[in-house]
Formats: sequence, structure tokens, C-alpha cells
Amino acid sequence: MLDIWNIVILEPVLNGLIWLTNVLGGSFGWAIIVLTIVINLLLFPLRVRQTKSTKAMQTLQPKIQELQKKYAKDQKRLQQEMMKLYREGGINPLGCLWPMLIQLPIWIALYQSIMQALGATPESLLNLSQHLYSLPAIGHAIPLNDQFLWLHLSRPDPNLILAILVGGTMWVQQKMVTPPAADPRQRSMTSLTTTMMPLMFGLFTLSFPSGLALYWVVSNIIGIVIQYFVSGGWGYLRTPAAPKPPPTPAQKVLPAPKAPVAEPSKTLQKATEESKTIKKASEEKKKGFFGR
Amino acid sequence: MRSFFKKNRKVLNLIPVLIILGLLVIGCAGPTFQGWSGFAASDGMLYFGGIDGKVYAINLSARNQNQTFPGENEWVFNIPSTGVPGSICGTACAPASPRASIYATPIILGDLVCVGVYSGDTGKVVAINRLSPGYNEGVPQRSKGEWTYPSGIKSMGAIVGSPIAADSTLFVGTSDGYLYSIDVVYGENKWQFGTGGKIWTSPAIEGDLIYVSNYDKKIFAISSAGSEVWSSELPASVASSPAVSADSILVGAFDNHLYAIDRANGKERWNFAGGNWFWSTPLIAGNTVYAGCLDNKLYAIDASTGQEVWQFVTNGPIVSAPISVDNFVIVASDVGDLYVLDSATGSMASSIHVGSPVKAPLLADGNTVYVHAGNLCVYAFDIQRGEKVWEFCYSVEE
Repeated sequence: MLDIWNIVILEPVLNGLIWLTNVLGGSFGWAIIVLTIVINLLLFPLRVRQTKSTKAMQTLQPKIQELQKKYAKDQKRLQQEMMKLYREGGINPLGCLWPMLIQLPIWIALYQSIMQALGATPESLLNLSQHLYSLPAIGHAIPLNDQFLWLHLSRPDPNLILAILVGGTMWVQQKMVTPPAADPRQRSMTSLTTTMMPLMFGLFTLSFPSGLALYWVVSNIIGIVIQYFVSGGWGYLRTPAAPKPPPTPAQKVLPAPKAPVAEPSKTLQKATEESKTIKKASEEKKKGFFGR
Repeated sequence: MRSFFKKNRKVLNLIPVLIILGLLVIGCAGPTFQGWSGFAASDGMLYFGGIDGKVYAINLSARNQNQTFPGENEWVFNIPSTGVPGSICGTACAPASPRASIYATPIILGDLVCVGVYSGDTGKVVAINRLSPGYNEGVPQRSKGEWTYPSGIKSMGAIVGSPIAADSTLFVGTSDGYLYSIDVVYGENKWQFGTGGKIWTSPAIEGDLIYVSNYDKKIFAISSAGSEVWSSELPASVASSPAVSADSILVGAFDNHLYAIDRANGKERWNFAGGNWFWSTPLIAGNTVYAGCLDNKLYAIDASTGQEVWQFVTNGPIVSAPISVDNFVIVASDVGDLYVLDSATGSMASSIHVGSPVKAPLLADGNTVYVHAGNLCVYAFDIQRGEKVWEFCYSVEE
């Protein structure tokens, strides 16, 4: 299993990274940046699809919550109603999961490659020999020079610059895609994702080789750019936090979190329109009996 | 399928956490270092750096009788780290006090045994009185002639290649790109020569010249006074330590070639292509070069022409340098087998199963070959009988 992983995924990425280093005049830093961009371009259709699916799923959240309350004691019925809702909204609930699962091995391979290519210790350099192609361009680039700008790519950045860049870009990316939640439980989860994750990765940057941190920064920036153009704008980054729900939520209908003003995509338009139609029909039928 | 994902939402929510943990594990697993020190032998004693970062002195007679360690004249010393916590992998996964490792083979100079230390980015040379050691947790006992270079809490670049000595001077290359010349008696720096690239190989000395290569594709000939005689640039960086023949310096490079460089002017005489890196130091015996390669083969090459004489395929990459005993060449594979080959034909006379990876250089004394294996054991093998004479295993204290 490990051999298959190495041959099919790790080694092409690793050798590609080293080849790029040779082509780019021996700069491993530029090779990380270029390869991260190239892989993102290759995976662009998947990321767009993932972004659109996530966006469309978010538009149905108010309706899903409504159903969850209505059928809280009947899980089977809840499943059926939710599937019906997805079907009517033209959304595949796994649509945002598959692109992520397909991208995952490539990101892990890139991550491993950066770690291995540096050959920071005698053992890791020796181990590298078993994963390289017999190409002159590869052999001439080894061992890689770990100097890039003010960084030693095999060592952590002693300054806070890279940690701030990693944390900052990750926070922006998370904030762009995370809608403000009304439900306290959901809000705490959202807060965890948007605040803790960037903070954690910022702290990791102080401890991990800066080559990896460079990869995180570039990945985050690419993610922000894709999000900006696919979702049309800064997303939820400019949306104020949702107000706390009042103490008597049973009869009260909370307003749906407002999505940012942006040019919606076709899938999004379709999902929103259908979601509105379903909501309207449901409200007429139930006469606003169910609050959110 | 959809209901599966709905039902297991909590489990699925854990996926990002597991990914982060996985990345942490990958990140932390990469940069571990252990060491592969060979042996220095004198007066019936073997000195070596353990994989646990300690220096051991073992008495061959006591080991032969399977006595409890430490026996007569035997000792072990801990080498404290000179590195900063987290300097390699980071505070997230490095232990609070990262231990030192020993890749360099110790060298004996009079009463002293000198050890090169690797501690992440930093290193040190430690000289211990082997007959009456006073060294304690990094502090040498000057009254016994012991010293460390640099002294006190100061450090130099990490040491991977073994030090060499001429007269009363020690030469050692470090990862900060300098070749240091150190006075053995006082432990003081005589001179240092900057090569501009990381040095992870041993220097070689022949006559008045010291030959050293760096990871910036360069090889230098330096006079005993510390000035450059010539330097030469190869197509790739040098992977192996140099071996010196009558007219050439032989080095393996990262482009899978073995190069013969003219000792007089640094020009390439010939090169030989292998299937992977020539990592181990080549052995020169007569007019033949024996070069172990990470492509699992030992090549016998004509030293004058660079033509292949024979090749022998082992069961794993060859990291440890081959040695010569009478008319045999002995080589170990990283998988853990020892091969005794006819030096003229390459035919196998015998093989011994060590059972653990062998990266450290071998040492021969008559018919006995000493092997420092990756399972933290030292073995003595009788190559004529093809059997193990004794073993000494030490353990890593956490």
C-alpha cells in the first residue's frame, strides 16, 4: 500500500518539485510557490465545484434547520424530507465532499514532498535517494539549497512574519466562506473554525520548517483568490456577526443570515430560487407555525 | 450512501482534526536523526558513538567473555546536546532537550579519543581521555588533557563526516561550510577554511594536502597552512567522502556518478555511472576501486581507466563503506547482510546475516569484522567461519 502511494502520488510530486528547483535556478522557495500554483490550477475545476456546492448548501441551511425541528423525533422522515429538499434544490449533498477527498492525497503528497526534498538530516537525505528518478536535472539539484528570502526553508522562521502571514491568510479564507450562525452551538463551532484554526497554524509555523509555512501561505492566497472570483466578492468577510437569538425561540422566526451582495452563480441562483419557492409553499401550508 | 454521511456527521466532522494530526505526525516523523558511527580501535578496545548519542568504550576481551558492561576499562559517556530545542522540527515535536547524535567515526590521538557531535544545526568536537576519562556531561577535565571545541556553551556547525588527523592536528568539516584545523593538545583553532557550502563528508589527507568537498558541487585541495591550492566544480554535489589513490581523488556524486579527479589540478580524469548515488566512501586496493552504490550494487572499477571490472548485487542499498581483508572485499547492505567477496572476481565466498540495517563503517581486525548495526548492537563476526563471535547490545534511555 505504501509502495503504491509512493510510486503513484508521492514520487511524481517530489521529483516535480526538485525538477522545478533546478529549472528555477536552484531556488526551492520559488519551486514550492510555482508547484503549489500549478497543482491549484490543475485542481481548479474541483475547487470551483466544491465552492459552488458549499455555497448552495448554505442557502438551504434555514430550511434544513426547520426540518430538523419539525422531524426531531422521526429520523427516518427527516432523512426523506431532507433528500427531497436537496433533490428539489438540485443539490448533491456530497457535492462538496468529493472534490475535497480527491484533492486531499495531492495536498498530503505535496506536504510530504516538501519535508523529504529538503533532506534536513543525514537520514532524510539518504532516504530521499530511494524516491528520485534517474534524471540529470534531479541529480544536479540535490541537495537542495534551503535559503529563500530571509528564510531557511528547513528551519522554522525565527521572526513572526511567516506566522502572521499563515494565520492572517487562513483567517481571511475561513471568514470568507463561513456564514454567521444564529444557533449558539453552531456559532461556537464557527468561531472555532475561523479563529482557532488560523491561530493553531500560526503557532505551527513557529515550530515547523518554513518551507511548509510558505506552502500554507501560497495555498491560502490561492484559496482566497478562487473564493473571491467564484463566489463574487469577499463573501462573509464583510458580513457582521449574527445577533444572539432571543430567549423565546419557539414562536419566533429569526431572519436568515444575510449573504453578501454578490453576483450569484447559476447553480446558486437555481438553489436560491428553488429554496425560496419551497420555503414559500411550506410557509403557506403551515401558516408560519414553525419558527427557526 | 447519503444517509451514511448524515448518520456519521460527528465522525466526519473529525476528519479535519485527523488531517491536522496526520500532518503533524508526518512533519514530526521526517527529521529524526540517529547516527551511524564506525569504530576506532586501540589496545584491545573499541570506541564508537552509539545511536543513543553516547560514546562507548568496550573491551574486546570482556565482550568475548560476555561480561557485564561496563567491564574492565570500559566506559560510556553521555554527550549533551549543543542545539536549541526545536531547532530542527520545532517545539511542537522536538523533545525539550534534543539529544546529540554521532555520525562521525571517532579518532584516537594518543590518550584522547575525539568525537564529532551532530546536534541539529550545531555541533562540537569532544576529546575524552580514553584511559582515564574525566569528561562529565559536556564538561571536559583539562587536567586529563580533555577539551571540547568550541569550548563552553559555544558550538560550531553540525558534524556528519568523520574527523581526520595529521601530526597533532585534527581536521573536521561542518555543516556551516568550514573546514576546521584544531590543535589536538590544546583544543584550539589553528585555522578555518570557508568552502561556501555545507560539508557533510570527511576530509582526506595525502602528503601536504587536505581534500574536502561540500554540498555546493565543489572539491578543494587545501594546504596544511589552510590556503587553497586548487578547487574544482563537479556537475553535481559530492555525496561520498573522498578516497585518495596515487594520482586521483575518487568521489561519488548525487548525479549517480563516481568521479576520478586529478590530484594535481582538480580536473576530471574519468567518471563511472551507477544506478543511484555513490554514498559510501570508495575503497582503493591496488589498481581497483570498489564503490558501493545505493542501487544495491558493489562495483569494481579499474582505477586507471574507469572501466567496470565486475559488479555484485546485494539485497539492499550500500551505505557502509566496503573494506578489504586479504584477498577479499567485505561489504554490508542496508538491509542487514554482510558479504565476503573475492576481490579479483567478485564471486561471493560467504555471507552473514546481521539481521538489522548496517549504515556504519565496518572495521576489520584479522579475520574478525566488527559491525555497528541499526538495532543498537555491535557484532563481532569471524568471516572465515562465517559466524558471530559475540554481540554487545546497548539501549536508548528515554
